[in-house]
Amino acid sequence: MALFAVFQTTYLLALLSLRTYESEVLSEPLPLTPESLKVSVNSTCQCLHLQWTVHSLAYHQELKMVFQIQISRFKTSNVIWVENYSTTVKQNQVLHWSWESELPLECAAHFIRMRSVVDDSRIPESGFWSNWSSWEEADAQNLLGHDPLFVFPKDKLVEEGSNVTICYVSRIHQDNISCYLEGVQIHGEQLDRSVTAFELKNVSFIRKKGTNVFCKMEQGGVLGGIVLFVSKVLQEPKDFSCETQDLKTLTCTWDPGSDTGLTKQPSQSYTLFESFSGKRTLCKHRNWCNWQVAQDSQETYNFTLLAENYLRKRSVSILFNLTQRVHPMTPYNLFPKNVGATNATMTWKVHSIGNNSTLLCQLELLTEEKVIQQHNVSIKVNGEYLLSELEPDTEYVARVRCAYTKHFWKWSEFISQKFNTAEAAPSEAPDVWRNMKMVSGHPTVSLFWKPLSKVHANGKILFYNVTVENLDKPSRLEVLSIPAPARSTELTLDQCSYQIHVTAHNSVGPSPASVIVVSGDPGNEEVEKGRVNGTEDGFSVSWKPQSGDATGYVVEWCDGPQDLPCVLQWKNLGPNTTSTVISSGAFRPGVRYNFRIYGISTKRMAHLLEKKAGYLEELAPSDNPQVVMSNLTSHSFTLSWKDYSTESQPGFIQGYHVYLKPKAGEQCHQAFEKTVLPEDSVCCKYTIDNPEQKTFVVENLQPESVYEFFVTPYTSVGEGPLDAFTKVTTPDEYSHILIRIILPMVFCVLIVMIICYLKSQWLKEKCYPDIPDPYKSSVLSLIKSKENPHLTIMNVNDCVPDAIEVINKPEGSKIQFLGTRKSLTETEFTKPAYLYLLPTEKNYSGPGPCICFENFTYNQAASDFASCGHFPVTPQAPPPQLGPLTSPENLLKALEQNYMNSLGEIPAGEANLNYVSQLASPTSGDKDSLPTNPPEPALCSEYKMQMAIPLGLASAPPRENSSLSSTTLLGQGEHCS
Amino acid sequence: MLACLCAVLWHLPAVPAHNRTGDPGPGPSIQKTYDLTRYLEHQLRSLAGTYLNYLGPPFNEPDFNPPRLGAETLPRATVNLEVWRSLNDRLRLTQNYEAYSHLLCYLRGLNRQAATAELRRSLAHFCTSLQGLLGSIAGVMAALGYPLPQPLPGTEPTWTPGPAHSDFLQKMDDFWLLKELQTWLWRSAKDFNRLKKKMQPPAAAVTLHLEAHGF
Repeated sequence: MALFAVFQTTYLLALLSLRTYESEVLSEPLPLTPESLKVSVNSTCQCLHLQWTVHSLAYHQELKMVFQIQISRFKTSNVIWVENYSTTVKQNQVLHWSWESELPLECAAHFIRMRSVVDDSRIPESGFWSNWSSWEEADAQNLLGHDPLFVFPKDKLVEEGSNVTICYVSRIHQDNISCYLEGVQIHGEQLDRSVTAFELKNVSFIRKKGTNVFCKMEQGGVLGGIVLFVSKVLQEPKDFSCETQDLKTLTCTWDPGSDTGLTKQPSQSYTLFESFSGKRTLCKHRNWCNWQVAQDSQETYNFTLLAENYLRKRSVSILFNLTQRVHPMTPYNLFPKNVGATNATMTWKVHSIGNNSTLLCQLELLTEEKVIQQHNVSIKVNGEYLLSELEPDTEYVARVRCAYTKHFWKWSEFISQKFNTAEAAPSEAPDVWRNMKMVSGHPTVSLFWKPLSKVHANGKILFYNVTVENLDKPSRLEVLSIPAPARSTELTLDQCSYQIHVTAHNSVGPSPASVIVVSGDPGNEEVEKGRVNGTEDGFSVSWKPQSGDATGYVVEWCDGPQDLPCVLQWKNLGPNTTSTVISSGAFRPGVRYNFRIYGISTKRMAHLLEKKAGYLEELAPSDNPQVVMSNLTSHSFTLSWKDYSTESQPGFIQGYHVYLKPKAGEQCHQAFEKTVLPEDSVCCKYTIDNPEQKTFVVENLQPESVYEFFVTPYTSVGEGPLDAFTKVTTPDEYSHILIRIILPMVFCVLIVMIICYLKSQWLKEKCYPDIPDPYKSSVLSLIKSKENPHLTIMNVNDCVPDAIEVINKPEGSKIQFLGTRKSLTETEFTKPAYLYLLPTEKNYSGPGPCICFENFTYNQAASDFASCGHFPVTPQAPPPQLGPLTSPENLLKALEQNYMNSLGEIPAGEANLNYVSQLASPTSGDKDSLPTNPPEPALCSEYKMQMAIPLGLASAPPRENSSLSSTTLLGQGEHCS
Repeated sequence: MLACLCAVLWHLPAVPAHNRTGDPGPGPSIQKTYDLTRYLEHQLRSLAGTYLNYLGPPFNEPDFNPPRLGAETLPRATVNLEVWRSLNDRLRLTQNYEAYSHLLCYLRGLNRQAATAELRRSLAHFCTSLQGLLGSIAGVMAALGYPLPQPLPGTEPTWTPGPAHSDFLQKMDDFWLLKELQTWLWRSAKDFNRLKKKMQPPAAAVTLHLEAHGF
């Protein structure tokens, strides 16, 4: 009963209390005005932080309320933000609300007030706003110092692409403040007398050290600035995956993307979170992280990778089963074992995974970087596999990788090992060919062989053995060992047939022998010659099959041009083959290649079957023949170019074009065709379609005309280069007749001249006989014979001259002087003067007439030198003095010296040629001037000095003044009468 | 002449001992220090260009001359000419030593904050060279018998920005650090040139020797 009474009392009290509450809430408007509003400024985030309480709430009362917040800037009336903040309010609870300002808070004073309203469904009639709280001011400018200029926000970190508002506060109210973004001036909006704001839109990353924004006053050098750090947007990690190598540790990797690397912001951090276990780890590296696998046999994992920086967070998740993410470690200790020529055993080891786990290993064999064998082997720890079908003496690479057998996820990395197989004997006989020729009268065979391919050599070929066996008579085998890498040898044989074996040897043994039979008689087989066409693939050579027992064919050719030494090439072909394509990288267009086709008999002897010649590609002739022109007549001439070789041309010469330029206006002859040359000149062309015809007669020409000709060969591609034309002029039609007349006339003249020469003595006697010499007179001999010693011929020295005629004779007037006396008197220079050296008994009133003889048989120069005089010139003594000489002194001296010498060499008898002719008749002068005493030798005779002088002196051209004047001879003591 | 000889002999004890013993004296080391300052000038020219580009405009602009706001702790190289002339050798060397000690610390701080590896390499190389200059100055002071200035305990200069130190001001400090360093290198070149001339053997002694032969 007591318990009931207590319960009843409690119920009544509670009911009373409820009634009281209801009466309080519902009966009057709730005075739930926000109280104790405090505003603080956070410059780092540019946030206004508000906190307040609602004191009017009853104890334990919890109501949903809406707070309306107003924010004004600069002044209360300038409301810039209104926001309703809904929350559940308890009694005495301190409420918080933040607002981030776009404009840096330091640039403007902000005013905040709020009011509230109950928004609780339990109180239906509660929709009345409370009164506004009083304005609270948040002015960060008060915190600034006394600097004249500030720029905000300081060191803000933003993401690339965002918009940023910057402002400056100037303590000095000046208009001349300019602001710059990275050195470029920016313009803003003035918000207040001292505040200007700039809005930077879509900012971009410039450098890790931040973007500089600064303002400066033009006066005073005041400067303020900020650094805006622009971060690139954090990227989501890519390729996030986790795997394990040993089922103990998981390694998760990802691609972090780019990192801005700002100095203001550290690199983004990465956190690995596993949701099933709830464990978390902060990764030390930016692209991988290790996770220790728990021992509780957790198989499934759900990982979340969280990337974050100051501005953003990114995450990526994966869910997987541990055993499905096994990536085995790289195998190790891979070695070849028991390596033979064709097989080898490979062994290797793997790291174990868990207990008794099986790994699938893949063994690959490579040669020349190509996989040639692949084998799968299941192993636990140790692996072994026998590789077979290997090539001898070959380098191989074996490599192994393994994967988890239970759930294949990834192959491990490869481990590789190189090894070489051992050598084996060469597997194939060398390809041998021969070339027969006669050297010094002995048949000589040149043997050629091709080096064995690597596949057939099976090792390094050390030498070749050549065994020569005489088939005609039994003899000892001759074995030659030729060290590699020789590819040919030469054997001198006799007329017998020989069988030659060639084997290649390496370190293991010899190859099968290649057999060839040669005969000592090289033979000169005349075979069919043909042409072969070249294509891009090479020369398609075909031949007629040899009837009988051909065991094969060989096509032989030289790789190089004809003018180079032959690099013999050959190709072996089967017995049923009658065509092949010969290709070689050495083939060049415009080069003639000669192919010889041999048939191989059952006796291994080769017989020449055919010869072919061809060009890989024919070209136009590169040069023109040297044309010789002959048989030129007035109507024709012959052209020939017999030295032109058609064999060495870059194509098959099909013929020749003879170009002839006729004289102007002349038409082409019938056989010629009119053509236009590249330089637009018109000429006539004659085509010779026979390449062996190397002469051509150009006919039907006009006499005395100029023709130009030019000969060029042509191939199927075109003709030779256009060279210069050669000019030829046809002679006059009658010139040959003139020649027939002139030649005999010349001949006759020559005959006459020869006769004259032969009869010169006779002519001399007839035309100009010698002057008689008294010393040589026959009379003298008669006198001597009568032994009358007193009879002598009067010597010219004995005569005493009574007058000397001095003649000043200019050169060039000799003929005149000699021919016409009258001219002498007319010319002052040539007028003779007479000196009377000895007085005569009778007065001699004047000069007498002079007679001058001249002997033309003597040298003209000597005559000139001697001049005419009435005295003999004595050579023994030089003149004691020389008068004035106008000629060069040296010449004069030489002249004198030569003169003396020449006279000195003259025999005495000849020296006496200087004489006065005794035949000179004193009556030959002018009779009117004769002296009164006739016996006196009053008359003077003029002589030409007759002497022999050396040719050298004679040839010296006498100068006008070089002759000795008479005056210079006055010192001589001898006189002539 | 005799009076002159006596005067010179009277002043001989004032000449440092190394001049009389045939020891080359501090002359070569002063010359090397001078050469080192010229080399560092050249090296700084390249480094400053790179670093100011790293800071960005306006710091890399040639005519940028900001007020010296936050760089008050930097040792000032500029000094009144008369004051500079009146400095004695010891004070002159001490100022150089102290200045480069401080500047080296600041430079090492700069190196720690550099964001690129190439810049860190360049700064480290320059710091090594500057350390060499410091050692060279210490060598000259020791040769002249001057003690090295002892750093006051707890006054190790630092170059870490304080909380109120904005990044822009930090850049200004970096700018001023490089500028002061350059000015100090200029001043040091003048200092050591002056010292070098002063330490050259007096010409009067040579003259005296020649004249003695004349007697």
